[in-house]
Amino acid sequence: MNNNEIYKRNNAKNFIYISLFFFIIYLCFLYLGIDFERFFSALGRFGSLIANRYYPVEIPYVLEPGYLGSILDSIQMGYLGLVIGVIIASVLAYFAASNITPSKKIGYWIGKFFIIFSRSIHETIWTILFVTIVGFGMLAGTMALTMYCIGFFGKLFSEELENVDMKLVETIRSNGANEIQVFAFGVWPQVKTAFTGILIYTWDVCFRASTIIGFFGAGGMGWYLKRNVLQLEYARTSAIILSIIVLVIFSEALSAYMRDKIYKETQ
Amino acid sequence: MSGYQLTIDDYSKQNSSKILKKIIFYILLIIIIFLSVYFIIILDTDWHRIGSGASILKQLSYFIGLDLKIMPHLILPAFETFLMACLGTMLGLILSLPVAWLGAKNVTPLGAVSFGFARMLMTISRSVHEIIWALIFVGAVGLGALPGILALAFRSVGFISKIISENIEGADKKPIEAIKAAGGSGFDVMYYGIIPQILPTVIGTIIFEWDINIRRSAVMGLVGAGGLGLAFFRQMHMSNYPGVTTVILFIVGLIVIGEILSHYLRKKII
Repeated sequence: MNNNEIYKRNNAKNFIYISLFFFIIYLCFLYLGIDFERFFSALGRFGSLIANRYYPVEIPYVLEPGYLGSILDSIQMGYLGLVIGVIIASVLAYFAASNITPSKKIGYWIGKFFIIFSRSIHETIWTILFVTIVGFGMLAGTMALTMYCIGFFGKLFSEELENVDMKLVETIRSNGANEIQVFAFGVWPQVKTAFTGILIYTWDVCFRASTIIGFFGAGGMGWYLKRNVLQLEYARTSAIILSIIVLVIFSEALSAYMRDKIYKETQ
Repeated sequence: MSGYQLTIDDYSKQNSSKILKKIIFYILLIIIIFLSVYFIIILDTDWHRIGSGASILKQLSYFIGLDLKIMPHLILPAFETFLMACLGTMLGLILSLPVAWLGAKNVTPLGAVSFGFARMLMTISRSVHEIIWALIFVGAVGLGALPGILALAFRSVGFISKIISENIEGADKKPIEAIKAAGGSGFDVMYYGIIPQILPTVIGTIIFEWDINIRRSAVMGLVGAGGLGLAFFRQMHMSNYPGVTTVILFIVGLIVIGEILSHYLRKKII
């Protein structure tokens, strides 16, 4: 078999794979009931929707005091949810880190389970559930964001804890320290920077989530968004979306700046 | 620094001012906590509506239990959710290729103009929540799975193209120079010089994004796109709370399967 034959055979194989791939996608489209005409015209429709309905953005609407107050509401929900969530998540992450967990059999699985469970459910679903339990308002939103933070922060922080240098921890433990001392002098100094970094990142993500959960009954900007979407006030909707984009970009820049500063300070 | 000596006194003074700043910072953070608690829990919450602890527990107890009857009707929506995530990620990858090409400093064709444009697209894609994307696309193309796919794709573009363009910027320059020296065109440089270098990371990123997209596609139904979100929405509106629990368990199951799959796939690639 010379090179040419191998080349040809590989080409044929690739052709079969690629056509199979497209066939599967075709089947998926059939199954989901999407006609191709609609799929290929989607971008055009999107463009014309933006241009015709959303375009004259009603900026003054987002500068009204009512809306500005809702921005504050969102920030507060995000902040309080973050604080409570991080406190709970730190404990859970301590249990869910396989190398330093105090009880390998029970505590590890409990911690892991709660973190995975709160991560699996999207923040909007948490909001809907809490709204049915405690009613409309910022309390439901705060609780939903707490669950969101537990999942997000818990996962990142427990991974960080698992990467701790165990030699230092063992040294302290072999000198007769108890679990609390081991954590305070062996583990905490190693993860302190990462903790702050993850905390700031979680705040950023949490704020992003807090802008939208109002859509399902928690307070804040999302509530204004829902109202204007239902009233078909496109100009106001686009203004709100624009304001969310601006705020998110701002919070992202702030969190990136703070994380940079912290990493620089510790090095 | 000539003529200036830092004595121990100066040093301790600097240090103490730093500590003072830190303390003020922490006190501020705590004050904000109290303010938030005041606004949220005291001013905004209607405690009459919530009632006592017993009534909360009663409300919670509605959710305990499973509705076995709706289970067979959830398998197809679960599959739909899964497909939406797959197709959305794929479409997102296709859309993010040109954005990544424009957004990488070393290959962008028009310098600062195209670079800035691509960065702007990435930021907008990432900062608009998937629910808002879904709302916009439901308005544009109607109900069904299609707006969900488009929303997931548009939401994924930011992350995928950012990672790809960062990888392109960090790619090893030697093979690129070699291909250029041998007379290769821009396309040759891309195809033979850059893509083989960045492929493993990019595939890892796509799998990661696919994993997140499963989570996102489970809520697309809340605003009119299909899948498990729609089933959740229906059960919620019928006040069939055991059914709600069942749908949530389905979502969790789907996500756990996706997480295991993505973990396995990423391990295989790396």
